[in-house]
Amino acid sequence: MAALWKTCQQCLRYGFTNASIYTSITAVNVISKRNFKAHWVAPTLRELQRRKVIEEDRGGGPKIFHRSTFLEWNYDAEIFAFSNRLGEKFNDSSLRAALTHKSYIERETARLSDIGVESNLQFQDNEALAQKGGEIMSKFINGYLRAVFTQVPEELIRAMHDFLTSNPTLETVAKHIGLGDLMLCADFPCKTETYVKSFKAVVAALAESSGEERARIFVQDLVVTQLYGQDVNELWNPVDPIGNLTAILKREGKAEPEFRLIRQAGSNSILAVYYVGVYSDKNFISEGAGESLEVAKEMAAREALKKFFHTEDSMRALPFGRQLKNIQSKIAQLENQPNVPLSEWISPKIMSAVH
Amino acid sequence: MSNSHLFLPSGFIRTPLQNGLGRYIPQLQRITIKFCKSHGGSRGVRDFIESDLMEFAKTNPGTVVYLKPRRHRSPCMVAEYLNGEREYLSCHEFSRDEVYKWLSYMCTRSGIPVMRFRKYQHTDYPTIQGVWNPFTHQAPEINVAEFPHEVLSKPINHGPTATEQLIEIFKKTQLEDPANKPPN
Repeated sequence: MAALWKTCQQCLRYGFTNASIYTSITAVNVISKRNFKAHWVAPTLRELQRRKVIEEDRGGGPKIFHRSTFLEWNYDAEIFAFSNRLGEKFNDSSLRAALTHKSYIERETARLSDIGVESNLQFQDNEALAQKGGEIMSKFINGYLRAVFTQVPEELIRAMHDFLTSNPTLETVAKHIGLGDLMLCADFPCKTETYVKSFKAVVAALAESSGEERARIFVQDLVVTQLYGQDVNELWNPVDPIGNLTAILKREGKAEPEFRLIRQAGSNSILAVYYVGVYSDKNFISEGAGESLEVAKEMAAREALKKFFHTEDSMRALPFGRQLKNIQSKIAQLENQPNVPLSEWISPKIMSAVH
Repeated sequence: MSNSHLFLPSGFIRTPLQNGLGRYIPQLQRITIKFCKSHGGSRGVRDFIESDLMEFAKTNPGTVVYLKPRRHRSPCMVAEYLNGEREYLSCHEFSRDEVYKWLSYMCTRSGIPVMRFRKYQHTDYPTIQGVWNPFTHQAPEINVAEFPHEVLSKPINHGPTATEQLIEIFKKTQLEDPANKPPN
């Protein structure tokens, strides 16, 4: 009886909710065996399933429970496993503070004061840590991007940084390192902002515990790798590629870009294709294809810009993990030096010749 | 020999969160072992816990191990992965080695469900030089050529292939040998 009451209390405290966005994940049996069951087993299970479906529909979805409501739960062991899983050493107090949210502290103090117990809860929340973590994470990401994409204008660096620090990306990372069960927060199922805040606070806690170097490697290993598989040209495109190309060539002292039709096929049909090449002073720069001449012109200008910035489809693979060992100092150096913006961009060979 | 009769889902090989690209994170989050302290079906699990479990826990510090002794229940283990998947395995009448084997199997999996791999490799960048289209490698001269053209209308002359060149070299050596032979 006491155990039942305790379980109910825990359920009410950490919350079970009927949420339709979550599907309860059923355990999959690994070894399938042939079973001979009695004739009444299947009809019984079918009826129970029918009633369960009715109850779930009435309640607004299957019930979900926080992992800490289970009997097999040891928060200290989970935290120990969390730091070992990532291969990092955390200060215990920093890590616990990083995982504690203000909403949780407020709820606990309210609950205790409702009961009538005066308490000075020694919890520290993760507001300051999250703020600091967000800043240093941005710094590390910018450093990596500028060290790897040396020829790229600052606008594209900013677009890639915004993609990597966006809420969906950080939420995915946070969920997949196991933060969902460890966070102490009042909302369940946890909101995106809660995950993101916890992750940023964990980064700051790591910087506090093991130093900035380890935090930089952590961000590179977990956040920056989300750039793999992304086409960087889908994240950002210059609005007026032809104008930008003309401006760049003019700044470099080269001739104006000349667009010439290279190939065409099916001009009277729906599947028309035109290949347009960009030439500067009769030197071929790039070509682009499109369904009409204007589209092909714009694509050719875009390809030319991609060639200048070294972001074509055939660009070098991005370095991750151990491949970054040699350029860590360069990354740290470029954290505070933005790349050249698009309005002033000129090819580095010209820039080094001028300077 | 088709796969349509299989209920097993199929897919391309993948890993959660680009695991391994930056660092490798072991995907097994926690494992719960339920067993009976006296029943015979749990003997292997009990032996495993007494002898090999500590070593397992030390070599896998990123995994939390929970033990649940429950009377009159057959033994089982439930593995929970970082992506939220759970796997259940009944360990009834397993030997100690079998328990160890299945536990290390659980360790090496990610939580992605078992599926038939369509290919054992996957890439997000299928082409580097660009996909072939009919305009690839076409001479630009065709744009301003008037057909029939004396060069472009003829079949393409690639020159002698390597095989033909080797045959020519061999024939030359054949012709020289009888000339060098001293008359008998």
